[in-house]
Amino acid sequence: MKTRFLGLCAILPLAALAAPASAATIVLGGYPDELQLVDDATGAVTQKVKLDTGLPVNLHMSNDRSRIYVTTNTSSGIEVFDTASRKIINKFSLNTPSVRYRFNGGVPDPTGRYFYVLGMRMDKEIDRWRVSKPQYMVVDLQQKKIVRAVDVAPEDERASRYAQLVLSEDGKSLYIFRDEVVVVDTAELKAVKRFDLAKPEFPGMLDVSFGGALESLRKPDEYVSLFISEDPYIHNKVFGIARFDLTSREFTFAPVGPAPENMAGLEVTPDGKDGYTVAVIGDLGSQRCEFWHFDLTTNMAVDKSEFPCRRRFYFGMSPDGAKLYIYGAGFDIAVYDAKTLQPVQDWELTNDATMAGMLFLP
Amino acid sequence: MKHLKPINRKAARIDEMVSLEQEDVVALQGGPAPHVPMGCTLSFSPGWEVDAGGGTAGLCQPVERDIYDCYVTCFWPVQVPDHLNYSPDWASNCAVATKDWRNLDLVFP
Repeated sequence: MKTRFLGLCAILPLAALAAPASAATIVLGGYPDELQLVDDATGAVTQKVKLDTGLPVNLHMSNDRSRIYVTTNTSSGIEVFDTASRKIINKFSLNTPSVRYRFNGGVPDPTGRYFYVLGMRMDKEIDRWRVSKPQYMVVDLQQKKIVRAVDVAPEDERASRYAQLVLSEDGKSLYIFRDEVVVVDTAELKAVKRFDLAKPEFPGMLDVSFGGALESLRKPDEYVSLFISEDPYIHNKVFGIARFDLTSREFTFAPVGPAPENMAGLEVTPDGKDGYTVAVIGDLGSQRCEFWHFDLTTNMAVDKSEFPCRRRFYFGMSPDGAKLYIYGAGFDIAVYDAKTLQPVQDWELTNDATMAGMLFLP
Repeated sequence: MKHLKPINRKAARIDEMVSLEQEDVVALQGGPAPHVPMGCTLSFSPGWEVDAGGGTAGLCQPVERDIYDCYVTCFWPVQVPDHLNYSPDWASNCAVATKDWRNLDLVFP
């Protein structure tokens, strides 16, 4: 269970990060039901946005960066935050007294009307809650209800509700990234193609899986992710950058370096030249955490530095690539200088940060 | 099996066993873990008694960092109020657990 948590720590901030060079406001989820807007230069909380549907568990920036889609789990809610006015412009809960839903994040369609999630439905019966199979669900953001739901095929059920969802630019294909890539036709909500990454077509590679998206490297119609691969002979693990073309559905992998026991994601500077990760070595009383700095032009390790571990944390980077952030499981952001890997200061927030990830406002 | 009917007790037990496997009742030690919506009561994960430095400052302690994640996802060595099912308002008056833990609500069974 704990291993899964560390995995999530790695996935969520990457999934949420989208960082233009001019970004200056951090968006974080805050307990018990807030969005925290934080000045990226000073660390001051400049605005708090109340979420009526409860606790934020995922933030998703629209492709045009005009909306942030917030999913909340207190009442299985969806709230839409307008980045220009910095206000909530749509909000609703899917739960009813006799029906509840569980889902994590989701993706909006190109029109902004429909929202795709992977979740479960629970119906209250006279003596129990009956839990559905995992389902692809389409939420109509105007009608504020689920308008279509189809059971996930049994062979795809291992793609849990924490899997990464990506929609193609034309809105016709929904991609589910986990140990395999499942391509779902959005017209019928049916899997039409699968790529089993545990058996890739690369000689000498196995046990591979996609993590969170590397938004800073992403191009239109391409999914870029941190990727760990292991050879079948001496089981040497390496991590690298994987690219999945959403149009041609082709997959490429560029190895970067040896994979530590646990990695808290990979952050890449805006120019794409420098990459940073956090290596987590050991566990409990013997746990050590280190920043690793890579030159991505040569795929060489440049520097590393130990920093105080937290039992659970998330890793992020400022939009200009100058600062590294360690946050989560608490109300502060520990700021480190990306060049020296040394601590700069500790920003105290007004709310504990949730596991919803970190976004940057334009 | 749809067109077969057990005619003795052993066959009936086999039929019942097969039927149970198709229902949503699963053994707790088997996978996939039945995490939701069963609540926190069945979640027990010892081994979090010390943090990375051998102390408790960075650990899931009741008034320290990680109580909220334990509260929301039920990842906790002992029972805590359950955000998703029974106690959604338990922390509604407590923005920062390490500072405002006195504002956490009381929960009576």
